[in-house]
Amino acid sequence: METINAEIFTLTYGSMVRQLIADLEDISAVNKQLDEMGYNIGIRLIDEFLAKSKTGKCGDFRETVDRVAKVGFRMFLNTTAAVTNWNAEGTECSLILEDNPLTDFVELPEGCQNLVYCNVLCGVIRGALEQVSINTECSFVRDVLRGSDVSELRLKLLSLNKEEYPFKDDD
Amino acid sequence: MVAYNIYFFNRQGTCLYYYEWHRPKSVRQGAGTSADDQKMMFGLFFSLKTFAAAMDPRQDNKSLGAPLRIGEACTFHSFCTNNYKLHFLESPSGLKIVLNTGPDAGDLRDHLNYIYGAIYVECVLKNPAYTPGRPFSCELFTARLHHYIRSLGL
Amino acid sequence: MFSASALRLNIVDRPLAKGKSEVSLSAFAFLFSELVQYSQTRVSNIGELERRLEDVGRGVGLRLLETLCHRERGGKRDTRLLDVLKFVHTTLWKYLFGRQARDLEQSNAVDDEYMISDYDLFVTKYISVPKDLGTFTPAAFVAGVVKGVLDGAGFPARVSAHFVAVKGQAKPKTTILVKFEPSVLQRESRLPNT
Repeated sequence: METINAEIFTLTYGSMVRQLIADLEDISAVNKQLDEMGYNIGIRLIDEFLAKSKTGKCGDFRETVDRVAKVGFRMFLNTTAAVTNWNAEGTECSLILEDNPLTDFVELPEGCQNLVYCNVLCGVIRGALEQVSINTECSFVRDVLRGSDVSELRLKLLSLNKEEYPFKDDD
Repeated sequence: MVAYNIYFFNRQGTCLYYYEWHRPKSVRQGAGTSADDQKMMFGLFFSLKTFAAAMDPRQDNKSLGAPLRIGEACTFHSFCTNNYKLHFLESPSGLKIVLNTGPDAGDLRDHLNYIYGAIYVECVLKNPAYTPGRPFSCELFTARLHHYIRSLGL
Repeated sequence: MFSASALRLNIVDRPLAKGKSEVSLSAFAFLFSELVQYSQTRVSNIGELERRLEDVGRGVGLRLLETLCHRERGGKRDTRLLDVLKFVHTTLWKYLFGRQARDLEQSNAVDDEYMISDYDLFVTKYISVPKDLGTFTPAAFVAGVVKGVLDGAGFPARVSAHFVAVKGQAKPKTTILVKFEPSVLQRESRLPNT
């Protein structure tokens, strides 16, 4: 698989976030925009993930999340996430990221302490899973840029979609 | 061995891409209009999938009409008539590729997978000009697809 | 006031990585594609779109200049025009694309214009520009990186990217056109020839 130097990726992402902050000024609007951009990326990225990893169907949500954490993160970001903190019903879990190429050498300045710098990752996961009929909610609960040791993403399963015939039969 | 035409559908039934290399019987004689032709094609394999899952002698049977998760149960991948062979690929994300060839074509599953992974993903998904869910026409994709189909001897 | 982060190593004390870690090209391609799409919503013409991409590239270039000088040149930075162009053509290009740029030429018409050309850059690989975007080239991002490097090194210039059709080749080559500011040429003429 073709790779490029991680720093180009990190710097480009950083430059893009800077441009967003200059455009939108309001930090919560930037967070929302990052999530939306991530969503747009996710709905396309899923096909590449499925094609390259030759993933067939996953048995249940647990297996899906495992696949995302091990194969997905490795394929695109060359890092893995650990999956922990499952709730009793198996519908919520945490993805722990120790090593994140997006945040290498990044420091949040004074005025941007509310910025969820990697919010794009939440959008990507949400978008990608939606394309395989899994509706989820994803957000950061711990962030290395705001003082924690690791970044933690909380992933919550909302519902599963069924396949429906999209055309009306009476045509 | 000849390739007749190819369709790409998304989960909502929108035909994202259609190309015909060789179609002796015109669309007007068949379904009527292009849109009807595509809708019929989509309906055809949607029903075939449900039917194939219901008739599966091995697994717990889903009754006919019960909604299916994508990727669940068995899926069909081709059917053959005396005049043509229809090849079908569905990804878990809902993208469906249908390729009609002459009846003597072998198992083209690997090739459909290649078209999916190396041509569709690379040329269409990574193109900023593409909006997911809408029909696309991308020169790079068309060129690569034709080249690949020709190289298969179709 | 002590916070948890004060106990961790301050960001500038952390070792600078060797720059060997990698991410997949796809990740960059998707990010770049989304950046182009987002930019299209905020502009009304192609010129502005290219300028936004150049801005993003400029941020990258400014930082890359420092990193590369520190890593590859032992902290030394070129001060002569031809040397800095060679730095872009070799060191920067090798870092970005894994190889030297194909050509580095000076314009025949004017002596403040230089052109760096190459084929098959990964930013243009996936883009098949639709007709309504006309002459847009995503290599505007690369032009921005070059601009950032030149600006940071003290060689202000106008940098732009163009697709140039090549006779006998199916694919056009990408040319980065660099037009230096007059102040740069004046300074250059004052310095002794090396």
